[in-house]
Amino acid sequence: MKKYILLLFSLLVLVACEEKKQSLYKIEGSQIPVDDKIVSNEDVEKLVAPYKDSLETQINQVLTFTKKDLNRYDGKLESSLGNLLADLAYEQGNPVFHKMTGKNIDFSVFNYGGIRASIPSGPVKYRNAFELMPFENKLVVVEITGKKMHELVDYLHKAQRAHPISKHFRIAIKNENPHKVMVNGNKFDENRNYYVLTSDYLQNGGDNMMFFKDPVNMYELDYLLRGAIIDYFLKQDTLRVTLDGRFQTVD
Amino acid sequence: MKRRDFLKNTAAASTLLTLGGLSLQSFTEDYSTKITILHTNDTHSHIEPFEASHSKYANKGGVARRATIVEQLRKENPNTLLLDAGDIFQGTPFFNFFGGELEFKLMSMLKYDASTLGNHDFDNGIGGLYKQLPHAKFPFVISNYDFTNTVMDTHTNLYKIFIKNGIKIGVFGLGIELKGLVDPKNYKETKYLDPIGVAQDMSRILKEEQKCDLVICLSHLGYSYDVNKDKVCDLHIAEQTKDIDLIIGGHTHTFLPKPTVVKNSAGKDVLVNQVGCYGINLGKIDFYFDTDKNKVSTSTVINV
Repeated sequence: MKKYILLLFSLLVLVACEEKKQSLYKIEGSQIPVDDKIVSNEDVEKLVAPYKDSLETQINQVLTFTKKDLNRYDGKLESSLGNLLADLAYEQGNPVFHKMTGKNIDFSVFNYGGIRASIPSGPVKYRNAFELMPFENKLVVVEITGKKMHELVDYLHKAQRAHPISKHFRIAIKNENPHKVMVNGNKFDENRNYYVLTSDYLQNGGDNMMFFKDPVNMYELDYLLRGAIIDYFLKQDTLRVTLDGRFQTVD
Repeated sequence: MKRRDFLKNTAAASTLLTLGGLSLQSFTEDYSTKITILHTNDTHSHIEPFEASHSKYANKGGVARRATIVEQLRKENPNTLLLDAGDIFQGTPFFNFFGGELEFKLMSMLKYDASTLGNHDFDNGIGGLYKQLPHAKFPFVISNYDFTNTVMDTHTNLYKIFIKNGIKIGVFGLGIELKGLVDPKNYKETKYLDPIGVAQDMSRILKEEQKCDLVICLSHLGYSYDVNKDKVCDLHIAEQTKDIDLIIGGHTHTFLPKPTVVKNSAGKDVLVNQVGCYGINLGKIDFYFDTDKNKVSTSTVINV
């Protein structure tokens, strides 16, 4: 009996409450910037501290080795670090793209400004990979038309900078004009499309590489450029890089 | 007979339990509740603030600062939920060296109420994610990944219901298609289910069966796609479902100046929000509830 009274009471309460049921009448949205005006929570800092100490030790772990300094300014229109970056991105990115589409990337293009630090001769550590590529840029493959390829070549030639390109792409400048443009040993064909590997940043018009905007097709590899660098470094005992004249001025 | 008794007892007890959440004030004339939803997405292991020399995000972000804000806002309004839309992992050496342990410990310290999963949360494989679960004192909600035959089976929820001051809040989660984004050896036998169908089911269950007052979708599908316009995204989910009040998005690292308001399939407004990435911002959506008597108009006012 007691149980039933309890149940009855509960139902009465429920009914009473339902009459006063709350309804949504207003929504407000805002965004709070997390910046240096905000004091840090000490408990969080205490939890992070030992990890940070340990990280300092581990980030100095050696991934590979280089006999010579690698930088972006040791050539005229190419550089040791630029060639390495463009080639390793291709080597790491192409299998991902191939698995996705069954096709191969034609070549890769990055920007000179994207090389953020040199790698001095000696052991190459995790730290170097993070300094070389501190951004969270991801690899993307764009399918561009022969017309856009013209714009790309024109951009590289006019920039007169060692923008990194992979070994599959060769440009010779003669009398201040693109003279010979080769892709994988074949003469550039303006009647076909090309698959170009680059970063999401550049695809989005970064460094004014407008020819990557609105491509015929775009494939996001969801692979961080830095991830590709680290994965490649881990595979190599010693980094071997040469200046091979992939982008040069000829007489 | 005994079974009937049991059922009655259970009914009475659960009624009381449900009412336990309501204070005496719930029977006064001006009963109202504010539900605050705080959210992050794509924090990507960014535990410390960006350095002062950083070209884009100098001095921004930092979990210790986020903790201060969250603590303050919870003090102001205890009816607060803190949610994340995935990609907790990958982006700083903290992940590369500790596999996400610190990220989960910190989210637990900040008392996250729930999170969904992003593609990068599979970066150390499904086993790498599973290994870190003991450090997460919050539930993972993901409604369109079938983890049968994987180590994650039974460790995630299709949805979670929270009750704050009598307001019932249902939260479900949508993950992006892993095929093509994540190496199959990393997600193993995880099955991806159509997010639109799942979202329709989940919102119906939460609204009609569970009688939720608010339905929130944590999504890692991405805000929208310029090139692949047909690729399923948060805006599509908003348009092709009903009964979702808020979609908290991620994946595309979209910095929205303000939440986007989209009309759903029933012509009602849905809010879609995303706060960029790396813990640079904390999203805050306040839902104001009142008794019908105090309601000024029949439609909900949105100030964003």
